[in-house]
Amino acid sequence: MNLTVNGVTRELESGPLTTLLDVLREELETTSPKAGCEQGGCGACTVLVDGEPRRACLTVAAAVDGSSVTTAEGLGSPDGLAPVQAAFTHHYAAQCGFCTSGMMMAAQAYLDAGGTDDREAIQEALAGHVCRCTGYVKIIDAVAAAARGDSFDLSVTAPSAGMVNLGGVK
Amino acid sequence: MAVHKGRGVAAIEYPTGMNQNGDPSQAWIKVKPDGRIDVFAGTSDIGNGSKTIQSQIVAETIGVPYDWITYDNSNTDSSPVCTGTFASRATFVAGKAVEKAAANVRSKILEIAGKELEIDPSDLDIVDGEVVAKGAPQKKISVPDVAGAATWGYGELITGVGAQLKPYATIVDPETGRVDLPPHSAISYAACAAEVEVDDETGVVTVTRLWQCYDVGLAINPTLVEGQIEGGAMQGLGLGVLENCYPYYPSVEHRGSQFGAYLAPSTEDMPQIDTIIIENPSADGPYGAKGIGEMANNAQPPAIAAAVHDAIGVWVTELPITPEKVLRALEAKEAGAAGPRREGKKVVFDEELSVNTVSSGGMRFEVPA
Amino acid sequence: MKAVGARLPRYDGIAHVTGRTVFVDDVRVPGSLWVKALRSPVHRATITGLDTSKAEAMSGVHAVITWKDVPLLEYGHLSALGIPADEPLLAKDDVRYKGQPIALVAAADEETAMAAVEAIALDLDEQPALFDIRKAFDPDAPVIHQWGNWYPHFEAEMDKRQIRKGDIERAFDAADVVVQGVYRPAAIEHVPIETQSCQVVPEANGRLTIYSCTQALYFSLGVVAAHLQLPLNKLKLVGGTVGGGFGGKVDTATETMCCLLALKSGRPVRWRWTREEEFLCSSTRAPWHMEIADAVTKDGWILGRKMLTLHDSGAYARFSPYGLTKHSFHHTGAYTIPNLHFDGYVVFTNRVPTTAMRGFGVTSISFATETHTSRVAETLGIDPWELRLKNANRVGDTSPNGVAYTDPSTVPVVKALAEGMGVELPAGLKAMTRDPREGDLLPEHLVAQVGNPEDH
Repeated sequence: MNLTVNGVTRELESGPLTTLLDVLREELETTSPKAGCEQGGCGACTVLVDGEPRRACLTVAAAVDGSSVTTAEGLGSPDGLAPVQAAFTHHYAAQCGFCTSGMMMAAQAYLDAGGTDDREAIQEALAGHVCRCTGYVKIIDAVAAAARGDSFDLSVTAPSAGMVNLGGVK
Repeated sequence: MAVHKGRGVAAIEYPTGMNQNGDPSQAWIKVKPDGRIDVFAGTSDIGNGSKTIQSQIVAETIGVPYDWITYDNSNTDSSPVCTGTFASRATFVAGKAVEKAAANVRSKILEIAGKELEIDPSDLDIVDGEVVAKGAPQKKISVPDVAGAATWGYGELITGVGAQLKPYATIVDPETGRVDLPPHSAISYAACAAEVEVDDETGVVTVTRLWQCYDVGLAINPTLVEGQIEGGAMQGLGLGVLENCYPYYPSVEHRGSQFGAYLAPSTEDMPQIDTIIIENPSADGPYGAKGIGEMANNAQPPAIAAAVHDAIGVWVTELPITPEKVLRALEAKEAGAAGPRREGKKVVFDEELSVNTVSSGGMRFEVPA
Repeated sequence: MKAVGARLPRYDGIAHVTGRTVFVDDVRVPGSLWVKALRSPVHRATITGLDTSKAEAMSGVHAVITWKDVPLLEYGHLSALGIPADEPLLAKDDVRYKGQPIALVAAADEETAMAAVEAIALDLDEQPALFDIRKAFDPDAPVIHQWGNWYPHFEAEMDKRQIRKGDIERAFDAADVVVQGVYRPAAIEHVPIETQSCQVVPEANGRLTIYSCTQALYFSLGVVAAHLQLPLNKLKLVGGTVGGGFGGKVDTATETMCCLLALKSGRPVRWRWTREEEFLCSSTRAPWHMEIADAVTKDGWILGRKMLTLHDSGAYARFSPYGLTKHSFHHTGAYTIPNLHFDGYVVFTNRVPTTAMRGFGVTSISFATETHTSRVAETLGIDPWELRLKNANRVGDTSPNGVAYTDPSTVPVVKALAEGMGVELPAGLKAMTRDPREGDLLPEHLVAQVGNPEDH
């Protein structure tokens, strides 16, 4: 079997029933997809397989033989971030960062399919992705901003809409 | 068969630092020959952003750009003690240790700069990585040049240490709970209002809006503060209406072992979140900051419970407020059995839950009068 | 100010979005063994037989550990705070919760490790279990802990945490109305997206490198060192980057177990909990049972509070006595209540031990007092904003255990909340501040409790 991961094609040694998650994390040492639950319930293992979002923990190697896989490492690099990565940075959509890779891959798929900045549509698209840290608000902000094609000043982070600072109050 | 709207309010307080104190944090800082700053602290970043906050504190205290800071909390060989990232202490207590270490570094830089410029250090300031004479900005030397002078001129390592420890408060009288010292580093405050919609046919409680007000003392990084408030809101919502390790508590049966069986909040559960912060600076925190990490999920459950009562006239005091509990409460209300028992001046709710009812005498809650 | 107050980006933000942040399970050490645990299948039992020989003999199994391998089997994590040890790292004579670890295996791969766990012979004699903290004190309750069913080691060997202030009888006597209620928030899971993970590498110089997801590097270092009876410099904890904790990655045990396996096998070991283990076997937020009776006046003053708290600690004490103490110090919430009678118990049950979770000890109070205060307002027919603002802590008011408040911010946050949500408060409430009580805000019954905020 072979697999192209972030543009590099490799012959696999793993068995056909090895999960794509284990192929990526253990054999190919591509550790951005996370083993958050290995039940298909959290989305932290999400990668793009031939452009489609897939839960790597529920996908076996044999089913993706010959496919092209994109992970967060392949979306962009520190000097050349993809729009969704820049959006997540500027909008502070990642706190602990553990759900971030899977969340961004799902967001990327949403954007690739023509997703707009409609917040309800984004919430629905990401409904199967669990984040425990952020409360999702800034994740939705980030995806909406990326959908709009905003440009991002990475030296600063964006406020949440409607946040009010009343200063000192007696 | 209708959807009813309701609102409820809650006001809370929460201590910063471990209860009774005695929880040290320490930091040490060294300056590289080109003026870049290496910070060693033992605070784990669990997502709260302590690496960021502590780096900001160092940058501000010394007077150098944020991107000159390298922050290393990675191991116990190089990092000194930090009791831990809990008790909302990462900014207030650990951040204070880092601030102290940075202040010591600043003094050292000024001392050497003073020698180089032949100006008394107390007449110098550090702004944006440059040491400048107060009132005479043409007299200056860059921090990199100071660091170079230290390394190759004076044979010195510019370093600073800081430690923060509030002494342990002993309970001097266990019968009353009296202590000999304040048992907290500080106390933080918040208030929350919840708006819910309750469907009286399905029992589902939808939290539609949360207004949250926090006194953060001083927001060292307002974006990170928002992150705590929003993240806490969803955890509070989960505690209030969704999550339970033991769905039939106290029974241990039917525990959820997967997402979907255990209901962690998802994007579909998001209410509109309106965040209000106020800033009444703390006396002791770094730059007047106050802790926020934990109390961010404390105010929502009671605000939601009060909102549910406002909506449908029943009190559910066992969390989470599930559809089953709402429907049972509505049934009891229909049957005229939901109200409190009144006896003299006593208004007694929830008797069926009390130890007086459930235990066979081993524990009682007796109320005077 | 330039850095403080600025919306600067996360220090590790770029690493997060490029998938390069290294969490414990992302560390790759050649030759690592997989770890799996044998866990109790029942809630309470005596262990009558434990035979690991078949597992040890299996091909691919490099080490099996039980309680016998632990130099110091029981170590109280908060022994420095006077909470004695009660829990073995690995079960010895009995098991007290479903999921309790009994033995661990380090093997060449996951399947072998799981097969080895199956091959351990475990004989249990099931015992009646206790699940309801309200019944723990009854004479017919099974006694499930060596200390009895509730923690007896508070100061002066008291078996409860007690707060007494003022004169509770007088308060209830003087009250116009007494409002009573019962509040029971549930156990919930921390649900960090990163499950409990650990890797331990035995180094050439005899040290152990421990890749840990702990929230508290030095706290965990101390716990591991105590169990292993080693000085701190024999261990190096590497971590500080955690995929969510919320209080659930503090009660260190995984690190110690992995150290023992690394020492016994001489190989690096790696343990990543499954999500099932995380949901079913990891420590949880505690369930609480709180009964409150507030003595109040018609015009909305809270004269006194009598309260009973039962803190469900699960099978062992862990941090529960600490949490209950914190709870007791804050049991009046944001309000100044001059007459108090609080009793709190840490109660054992045969469920997974409970631990800290965001707000530890006080989340429960916030739920109970605030729901109760809303109820009191409704019962008295008083505006809930007024009730809160009137009774709110002010500078100089004292806490349940007599500590003067120096900068209570309840009045400001409540007013700011009202303003922020468009609720127009009456002028009298808007004019309130957190300044020391005087005039109408200092009725007779609050005079005695006033303290000096300078005493701090």
